[in-house]
Amino acid sequence: MKKKLTIKNFSIYFDQYLFISISLLSVMGLFFLYSASQGDLNTVIKQSIFVGFGLFLMFILSQPDPDFYKIFSSLFIVLAVVLMFATMIFGREVNGAKRWLNFGFFTLQTSEIIKIALPIFLASYLYNKPLPISLKHTFITLALICFVFYLVYSQPDLGTGLVVFMAGIYILFLAGLSWKFIFTSFGLIVLSMPFLWNNFLEPFQRQRILTFIDPSSDPFGSSWNITQSKIAIGSGGMSGKGYQEGSQAHLNFLPEAETDFIFAVIAEEFGFIGICILLSFFFFILLRCIYLAFNARDRFCRLTIGGLSLVFASTLFINLGMVVGIIPVVGMPMPFISKGGSSLLSFYIAFGIIISMATHKKLMQK
Amino acid sequence: MIDLNERYAEKKSFFNRLIVVYVFFGFVFSFFLYQTYSLQVSEYKDYETAAIANKTKEVLVQPVRGIIYDRSGKIIVNNVPTYDLIVKASLIKSIDAFLSDLSPIIELDSDELDFVRENFDLKARYNRELLIKKNLSREEIAKFEVRSYKFPNAFIDVRYSRYNNYPELFSHAVGYVGGVNNDELTSILNSQALPQIETIFKYSNGFQIGKTGLESTYDQILRGKFGKKIFEVDARGRFVEEREFIKPTNGENLFTTLDIKAQQVAYDQMDNRRGAVVAIEIDSGSIVSYVSTPSFSTNAISNGISSRAFNALIQDKDKPFFDRASQGRYSPASTIKPAIALFGIENNIIDWDFSIEDPGYFILPEDQRVYRGWRKGGHGSVNLNKAIIVSSNTFFFSLAYKSDINKLIEHLSNFGFGAEVCADCFNPDKALLPTPEWKMNNLNFGWFKGDTVNLGVGQGYLSATPLQLAYYSTLLANKGTSKELSFINKKQDIKNLNIQLNNTDDLDWKRLHQSMIGVIDSPIGTAKRLQELKTYTVAAKSGTVELVSTDTKEDYKTIRETEGNRDHAIIIAFGPMPNPKYAVSVVIENGESGGSVAGPVAIAVLNSLIGK
Repeated sequence: MKKKLTIKNFSIYFDQYLFISISLLSVMGLFFLYSASQGDLNTVIKQSIFVGFGLFLMFILSQPDPDFYKIFSSLFIVLAVVLMFATMIFGREVNGAKRWLNFGFFTLQTSEIIKIALPIFLASYLYNKPLPISLKHTFITLALICFVFYLVYSQPDLGTGLVVFMAGIYILFLAGLSWKFIFTSFGLIVLSMPFLWNNFLEPFQRQRILTFIDPSSDPFGSSWNITQSKIAIGSGGMSGKGYQEGSQAHLNFLPEAETDFIFAVIAEEFGFIGICILLSFFFFILLRCIYLAFNARDRFCRLTIGGLSLVFASTLFINLGMVVGIIPVVGMPMPFISKGGSSLLSFYIAFGIIISMATHKKLMQK
Repeated sequence: MIDLNERYAEKKSFFNRLIVVYVFFGFVFSFFLYQTYSLQVSEYKDYETAAIANKTKEVLVQPVRGIIYDRSGKIIVNNVPTYDLIVKASLIKSIDAFLSDLSPIIELDSDELDFVRENFDLKARYNRELLIKKNLSREEIAKFEVRSYKFPNAFIDVRYSRYNNYPELFSHAVGYVGGVNNDELTSILNSQALPQIETIFKYSNGFQIGKTGLESTYDQILRGKFGKKIFEVDARGRFVEEREFIKPTNGENLFTTLDIKAQQVAYDQMDNRRGAVVAIEIDSGSIVSYVSTPSFSTNAISNGISSRAFNALIQDKDKPFFDRASQGRYSPASTIKPAIALFGIENNIIDWDFSIEDPGYFILPEDQRVYRGWRKGGHGSVNLNKAIIVSSNTFFFSLAYKSDINKLIEHLSNFGFGAEVCADCFNPDKALLPTPEWKMNNLNFGWFKGDTVNLGVGQGYLSATPLQLAYYSTLLANKGTSKELSFINKKQDIKNLNIQLNNTDDLDWKRLHQSMIGVIDSPIGTAKRLQELKTYTVAAKSGTVELVSTDTKEDYKTIRETEGNRDHAIIIAFGPMPNPKYAVSVVIENGESGGSVAGPVAIAVLNSLIGK
């Protein structure tokens, strides 16, 4: 139950279901990370600091009234875009990608900010538009989504770019995008597919897609990760090899075991049963978000909860799809489990805002 | 502000759409879960196997070759451990830089440097060990170990060498081992269903195989079987722990019939002259001595020799690599006469009382061509006994003249001429027993009566190897029966090769033996100088192979100025009579006199075997 505790005219906003499930997931994440990092205590301590801070941040961010987010959403998106540009100019380059902004004590992955700012801004832009959303507003929204996608994509960070893009489209869809528009544009995209394949894709991009369709054709190239990940998952079997017993992770066959491929480590060590238990937590959180969205006080809150929870779900699915070898490797962490700073914190922030949207009620509107 | 109806419609639309998205995600989620299920449950076995294959590394372990013994149980070839300096060739960028860094610490002579430089590329290509220096001294080991941090790819380890205790005595009989080429290696490993992978070596020169002699013939037995070590490795191939060790099966030891003492005597007696000695134990057909000279050290070749040293051996004009015992072709010359005599008796052409007048030559009735004996003026009245003792050519010319060529060829073939007589010799040559068909095909001439006459004294196209002559000697000694010759005493499997003679009885054999005893013991015998060299009775037949045909002794004196023109000395002998135990053949190239040059070698070998 969402709660409003009143202590001497001071109210605390809190959702115990989300708070407990997210805390449990985070603690499980620390436990898995200890194994995935081959027992590196430093990594786990650093991660626990992030988890603690994240939970605190989540709590703090659930306190302001949704109107606060609504009013300042334009400021947030402008700030986020400025940070993106700052990253382009001052960013730290790692492996040819400029994604991080160094603040001395903390390195910020700026795309994580815009991933949250965009849904909130779109919700605040669309919440008062009549149904169905007119063509003009649709195009303004789409233009903004594409602009932000391009900013992230050019870092380059295709994975986060896709999440941002999908988040924008969800909001637009949930806000009432006309079905006519949806079917027309969908038809156009399908029809133009062969044209795009032949004219816009470079041969290496086509090859990359073809390689993805048949990964065995290239076992040591780009699909090495996928091959090793599938071996890790498959060899886990029904009940797993046991905690810290996964040979794929512990003998370094599995790349990025602490970050993108941590799911494979869990699958190897805890098997299908362990995976089902883990995923049931995610499933519970998502179901809780539907419930909260249904009971939100107004359209803005509904759209924000829907949009942010779908950002969370998309991130999870892109990660899962990548690790089990259904979609190409794009680089996407598993929320609350993978090692990471910005990406980890961004979900605590998102859920803090979700809880704020869900717990604040306007009595006069009931 | 939107009115309440609109608000309600908006809320309904939102819920519908959120459900649509969630249903879509539900499908995606189910699909992912199904994919995980199929990986972990349906295809579990495949992935489990793949995970094990990932972390498992198999390394072959080389077996140690069997030891080779002589017939009294003394070791001929052994595996001797040494401390060697070894590098992983594929990790060395520049071998010259490596050698110059090493030079202040461990000295290499020019042969060793040549060996390293010559083998570097090959070993690097196949990712094998390269031997830098064998048999390090304690001082060298200490000097290297202190500075070993400078040479991360080099190490000192125990490696065996294939060491022949008598390296020059057995160079052709036992032979040597050497490196394998890639096809040989693949087929050796295939026979054990193994792939060609990294190998832990026991020998300084890595993979090796018997190249010649018994090392080659019995390679399968001596070689043993590769073992396997199974390691757990990480993704970079680094060692984590050992999982399993299937020990290699070392090669079986080989117990030969060779006699070190007789071999030593034969080798010493030959004294680096070009030639060969083969001695046989008559009962078993086993080879007790097998020498071809000049010889070379097998140890250098088995354990790594620079190409310079190797080329010097190859280019030696005396051809030390050439196995004269089983590949040298020599005319049997007069040693053929006992076989011809048997042919005459078997076919009723002559008997022991038959005699002719020997004027010193034979005139072929067809074309009046003159065939000369070795002694001017001849031997007077000659019966078969005397013809063998004095080696009368005239007698055997006329006997051959009366022989049917096809029957004679078959008869000689039964004595091993032109045939394979050894079960386990390395690459034996069949030499040549000429037939009319052979002459027509190869020389484009028909068979002349003169060719038959020449065959009667073992000259002409006929040739035999010392091995075949030893076999022939064994057959004569054992009255027409012998086992196929062999280096090991395999009681079964050995073929009995008997000559079928219907018209020749034991008395004929005894008389033949008596005549051959006379070759030495008679005052007119061609090998009478051997009498003092022994204390028992020996039967023999000497021969002198004419390389250049001359009519007079003066002519021969001129041509013998060139050493290569001199006659080959040849003898077959067996003893002690009357119950011979050993048969021997000796050939000395350009030795001139069968009786007095080859004879003493044969007697010395028999002495060492008979122990008198």
